[in-house]
Amino acid sequence: MNELALIVFAPLIAGALAWLIDIKGIREIIGVLGAAVPLGYAALLYQKTGEGLNFVLSLGVFKLTFALNTLNWFFLGIGALVGFAAILALVSTGRDSYEWLFALMSLSGVLGVFLANDLMTFFIFWEIMTFASFMMVLHYNKAASLKYFLLSVFGAYAMLIALGMIYAKLGTFDFAQIQQAMYKEAYAAAFGADTVFSKGESILIYLLFLIAFGVKAGMFPLHVWAPDAYSETNQSYAAMFSGVLSKTGVYGFIMLYLLMGTRLAIELGGFRSTTKFGYIIAFLGGLTIIVGGLLAALQEDIRKLFAYSSISQLGYILVGIGVGTALSMQAALFHALSHALFKGLFFLIVATIVYRTGKTTFADMGGLAEKMPFTFAMAFVAILSLAGIPPLVGFASKWVLFEAVISQNLPVLGGMVFFGSAIGFVYLIRFTYAVWFGQRPTDLDNVKDAPLSMAVAMAILALFNVILGIAPGLVARELNKIFGKEVIGGNLYVLDLGFGKYNALAILIYLIAGIVIAGIIYFMGAKARRVPVTDTYQSANPVTMDYNLTIRRNFFLPLKETLAFWLRISFDKLYHDIGAWVEDLAEVLRNYVYNGNAQSYAWYLAIILLILALWGV
Amino acid sequence: MIETALKAFLILIYATFVGFMFMGIIRIVTARIHRRVGPPIYQPILDTIKLLSKKSNITHGLIYDFGVIYALGATILALMFIPLGSMGILRAYGDLILITFLLEIPMLGIMFAAMSSGNPYAGIGAQRALLTLLAIQVPLGFAIVALAEFYGTFSTYEIVMAQQTMGWSIIHLPLLLAAIAYDIVLQALFGKEPFDIMIAPGEISLGPMVEFGGKHMGILQIQHAIALFAETLFFANIFLGGAVVTAFASPILNTIASLGILLIKQIAVLMVAIFVGAIFPRFTIDQAAKFYWKWPTIIAALGAILASL
Amino acid sequence: MVDWRLYEPLINFARKRSMWIVSFCTGCGGIEMPPLMTSRYDLERFGMMPNPAPRMADLFLITGYVTPKTLKRIIITYEMQPDPKYVLAHGSCPLNGGIYWDAYNAIKHLDKYIPVDVAIAGCMPRPEAVMDGIKKMMELIETGKADGWKRYKENYEYYKKNQDELFGEGWRERTARRWIPWLMNKRKEIGGGEQ
Repeated sequence: MNELALIVFAPLIAGALAWLIDIKGIREIIGVLGAAVPLGYAALLYQKTGEGLNFVLSLGVFKLTFALNTLNWFFLGIGALVGFAAILALVSTGRDSYEWLFALMSLSGVLGVFLANDLMTFFIFWEIMTFASFMMVLHYNKAASLKYFLLSVFGAYAMLIALGMIYAKLGTFDFAQIQQAMYKEAYAAAFGADTVFSKGESILIYLLFLIAFGVKAGMFPLHVWAPDAYSETNQSYAAMFSGVLSKTGVYGFIMLYLLMGTRLAIELGGFRSTTKFGYIIAFLGGLTIIVGGLLAALQEDIRKLFAYSSISQLGYILVGIGVGTALSMQAALFHALSHALFKGLFFLIVATIVYRTGKTTFADMGGLAEKMPFTFAMAFVAILSLAGIPPLVGFASKWVLFEAVISQNLPVLGGMVFFGSAIGFVYLIRFTYAVWFGQRPTDLDNVKDAPLSMAVAMAILALFNVILGIAPGLVARELNKIFGKEVIGGNLYVLDLGFGKYNALAILIYLIAGIVIAGIIYFMGAKARRVPVTDTYQSANPVTMDYNLTIRRNFFLPLKETLAFWLRISFDKLYHDIGAWVEDLAEVLRNYVYNGNAQSYAWYLAIILLILALWGV
Repeated sequence: MIETALKAFLILIYATFVGFMFMGIIRIVTARIHRRVGPPIYQPILDTIKLLSKKSNITHGLIYDFGVIYALGATILALMFIPLGSMGILRAYGDLILITFLLEIPMLGIMFAAMSSGNPYAGIGAQRALLTLLAIQVPLGFAIVALAEFYGTFSTYEIVMAQQTMGWSIIHLPLLLAAIAYDIVLQALFGKEPFDIMIAPGEISLGPMVEFGGKHMGILQIQHAIALFAETLFFANIFLGGAVVTAFASPILNTIASLGILLIKQIAVLMVAIFVGAIFPRFTIDQAAKFYWKWPTIIAALGAILASL
Repeated sequence: MVDWRLYEPLINFARKRSMWIVSFCTGCGGIEMPPLMTSRYDLERFGMMPNPAPRMADLFLITGYVTPKTLKRIIITYEMQPDPKYVLAHGSCPLNGGIYWDAYNAIKHLDKYIPVDVAIAGCMPRPEAVMDGIKKMMELIETGKADGWKRYKENYEYYKKNQDELFGEGWRERTARRWIPWLMNKRKEIGGGEQ
């Protein structure tokens, strides 16, 4: 059978089988196999990306087409890798076959979105993915799932309207044909001839797509579903949810650029050195970085902290896409990859902690570094990667993004991006201090380390973090192939952008040399004896384990006080208020118009018949 | 290969020695401002020898040891990237953003080590240090952006070379604004008043350093010395012109001359920091954050926007 | 590895010229510390600095009378300091009770609980007398005779016996249980009224 069909439909079939065969051991094996198939094929198809593989599924009236090119393969690789790790961890934390069905269905949907070759397939698989992830959230919490569903549906309807407009004017859904038509339009508009879409219509299509992809990617005013949805679901699934599903929004934005970029650039004009429509996306992305990061530092629940952190990191990718040059798009794609890797790793760590200790707020945890050393080592790698510390992949992608943004003379965006990296430090230290260090509450004295499947999943992601960090040239080569020209130069270990260079291997060697020198000085001193955590200076008062002296609640109280004014503005409340207003309106209608009284219904009928009679129908 | 290693080693010894002299200069100049005699200028070396020779040390676990070692390693790494006159091991890769990041990493290592002791003073100290770091990022970011846009390149070495022909950076107005903002940021990076809320002796018992003693503290003193040297060297390179002397015939005299000129510039930067630090009390953390997000941000943003025009 | 005994003169020079004082001002003698540190009798020219954390400090100044409540905190702080550490007793109170020789709650003979290296008599000694005492301390360090810490380690049972006799066994846990709830403002029913 065609490989693309296998890649897209294998997880779905495996999910259905796992749901039907409800035996504990077998459904795990079927599920993991179903997730391993796309990963294996993605690795095999690496050589064949240039061949123009495609697959057409004809369903009577219309056709679903899939195709594979270098851009698709990049996203397919991310989706398959993180999806596989998440499903592998689901082996331990999955509660019942319901979760297996919908997790695998959403993986199928994601891969379908990435491989789609026309807008109808894109939309259908988008809806499958949204539906499956909605069901995963519904299993845990109704209010969070309702918010997610409403916002996603709002975005999906926006996309449907835009799709309808395009089909009505151009008569086709196929990506290649739409791209050709849009190019012709762009040239026609540049020379003042007649175009199929008027200026207002193309701006409308742009806004509709912005809303649709912005909801999925968690852009600033539309991000309110993300914290609740990412926290109220199975945390292993959240690794895939925030690592992969949000990348479909990113992929949508890139599609927007590829299909309509030239047209919108000519219609709306430029702004300093980028296009106006791109600058809007980038500015909203910058706001997302700041808002997501600051709110992450103030959270008390470990899952919500990482949910806001996800939103903040996606802001980086949006900034990269918005700036619009080849280098910044490559930077955005690079950051998409590294975000999927380290955020997937973080959510798996959270899943392990929640699974083993059963606690989710920081106030209940502490001192877990001795009891869960493997998980702590993985957390160390993930923390270094997110904070952007040199030999790991997070730094490479952030560095390319900074250089891309700043070299385009956009100081405001550059300042926002710089701010975002410090915010990363802030909430990571909060996470580390509250969870891994300090006094341990007595009910956590018996926690065990991560179970085998989760340990393997975490190790896979951490390994990729480290390898791609030391050899960023591997990723740069793939990105250059997507764009067809050598935007990022250098060899396997060096990224050379012309106006700046980054040598990962030299950093690694000199860091190890520095640590060795420090180690020599360390070992020349007297031997150190280990003291328990109660032997600590508390102004000379004796300390026992009965009282908790570690600060786990309200760790960043001064930040909350500094930002007190800004925290009162909240889009979440705005949406709630709009929802409440709509409910009131419905209540009014129910009381006055649909009031259940047969006489008023008879009146309505009579009036309508009179109007129709007068009209001569 | 051997030659590079030898050069790196010599740079390291020079940086450590001069860094200790800088710490001594800070103490003795502060003492003279207070009209006291003050300790001799080599006092920090005696302190470090005393700390490293303690006969019993304590540890709170693996991360406690490793964080301190990592902090020193990262500072040594940062030092290798900054061009020192015409020497500089990795100066081809010395990017503005890379060096700025690398100068912030040791703080992360120290925070990790301090927090692993579980002391609440260390926790509060870590919180304050991080919020200070957050506060300084905005003017720092704009200052770096101003520099990059003005010179059109990110490489520190090329900025130094450009200044040999165009004159010092602070002659140009946008970069003068960026330099003022960066100098205010340097106060916090050195940990001097009015922004030494992270150390805060007497209020939270030195914050993150409360549980460090013996050889850990000795290693942290060495780290502070090298960090002082690296930060002043970075400022002297990007804003005060660096020093590339080619007047003499022999390379050794050239190197000594450029190191001497750099030393004078670094001590000038240090003196400004000492004078400001000697007269101000300490800001609380929300005062410090509000201050940094107001005036230095405005000055640096103005510099960045002017530079990009 | 390296034989550090060859470097003893250098290390002793470093130790005597950079003593860091634990900022622990017991009793009424604490008032004599600021004149020593400030401009007139500048103590920093000998490298001595007050340091709030005991883990980094070597010199402990017992400036004045010591009550059992204070003695508990002194013992806890003293044990947190890394070796080698020195104790300097100011005033007559640590020597023999001073003017509180007949009080029920002042420790008369401090040397039974903490090893003292140099004692300076006076009620309060003037800064010049303190400088004299510090000079003697530096001489002791240079000749390697400042071994209060060695005495504490070797005769630990003797010191522990005296401490336990005064406070009762298990005094650390009892003090913790009494004082930490008060500090954290959580009043609980704690049995026993000992401080």
